[in-house]
Amino acid sequence: MSRWTKFLLAIIVGAAAGLFYGWIVNPVEYVDIGPESLRMDYKTDFVLMVAESYQVDHNLSLAVRRIAKLGTSAPNEIVANALSYALQHDYASQDLSLLQALGEALLTWNPNLEVPTP
Amino acid sequence: MGLVYSWIVSPVQYVDAPPYALRADFKDEYRALVAAAYLYNNDLLRAEDRLAQLKDDNPAQSLALQAQRAFEEGHPQAEVRALGILAMELAEGLTPGASSGTPTPFTPYPSAIGRITNTPIVSQPSGDPMIAASPSLTQEDTENLPGETAQPAQIFISTPGPDPAYVLEDSTLVCNPDQPQPMIQVLVQDAAGNPVPGVELLVSWENGEDYFFTGLQPELGMGFADFLMTPDVVYSLALAEGERVLTPLTAAECQPEDQNHYWGSWLLTFIQP
Repeated sequence: MSRWTKFLLAIIVGAAAGLFYGWIVNPVEYVDIGPESLRMDYKTDFVLMVAESYQVDHNLSLAVRRIAKLGTSAPNEIVANALSYALQHDYASQDLSLLQALGEALLTWNPNLEVPTP
Repeated sequence: MGLVYSWIVSPVQYVDAPPYALRADFKDEYRALVAAAYLYNNDLLRAEDRLAQLKDDNPAQSLALQAQRAFEEGHPQAEVRALGILAMELAEGLTPGASSGTPTPFTPYPSAIGRITNTPIVSQPSGDPMIAASPSLTQEDTENLPGETAQPAQIFISTPGPDPAYVLEDSTLVCNPDQPQPMIQVLVQDAAGNPVPGVELLVSWENGEDYFFTGLQPELGMGFADFLMTPDVVYSLALAEGERVLTPLTAAECQPEDQNHYWGSWLLTFIQP
């Protein structure tokens, strides 16, 4: 066996051992992440919860603050993405209506009219 | 070279993460959001499913603790209330409006030795429903308890107000050497005797006021709430803003014959008329 073959074999064995350790023995564990890193179905449910709570308090600025935790996109864009996901995955019609209602409410939201919280 | 690439050029980006990986403060916000949404949908199963994603050991307790923390940190009242309500619904496993007819047994501070040294005397002017009709223990009862001593009478008077949602049914001075600080303990029940969570209680004194809610300590009962009193301060208590006021409430001492004095706690039981 030539030196190069031994070298390549060692590289392959090392890489395989590293992958086995990182994938099986000690896989990555997510900790201390922010809501923006949530999986799309969780994000959609997050937006749905905001839509549900909005029906109780009708506080649009609170809804916007909550949605803003899901990323830097515009709130109505985040809601639109959630609605799109919900449509693709056959969410209940009531949930779709809630998302739609929140999306429509956000169309009237003007951040310049926000009163700063002391 | 590998470190530069993975640290600077293309650092790790978390994607597709589950809620249990959220940072603690985001988990709190998630729970608050679940509770707020629950107020709309009243779907306990859905709330349980959502909370299960956080993988808390005891979701009801986590909610209750968060409600307590939120209350102490001055979070919006609506948030505290929503957290408290969901905590209690989860602890009871009830769907709203489907509470069982069996009242939950209540013990103020389960570890309490619970000797009653005083039966408050309650005035009843002009049939006011806020005034207790009967004390919790008769004089004969107290005589049967070993080591009891008579205490000065406590008179509660309610101010006139609108028809109350709850009336004071019972008032008792609970003497527990293990709980020597004076407290107002409130137990709120519906007409069927079931504990009622989420009832706001307003307590006021000469230079201030505060509010607290029933059910934030599920381990002590869904309709239970307590407030730490300062000796020599006169308090007034109302079950909600605009409700009738119960006053005066002052810390009362327990005086066993063979022990030193210590503070007792007023246990006030309110029911729906």
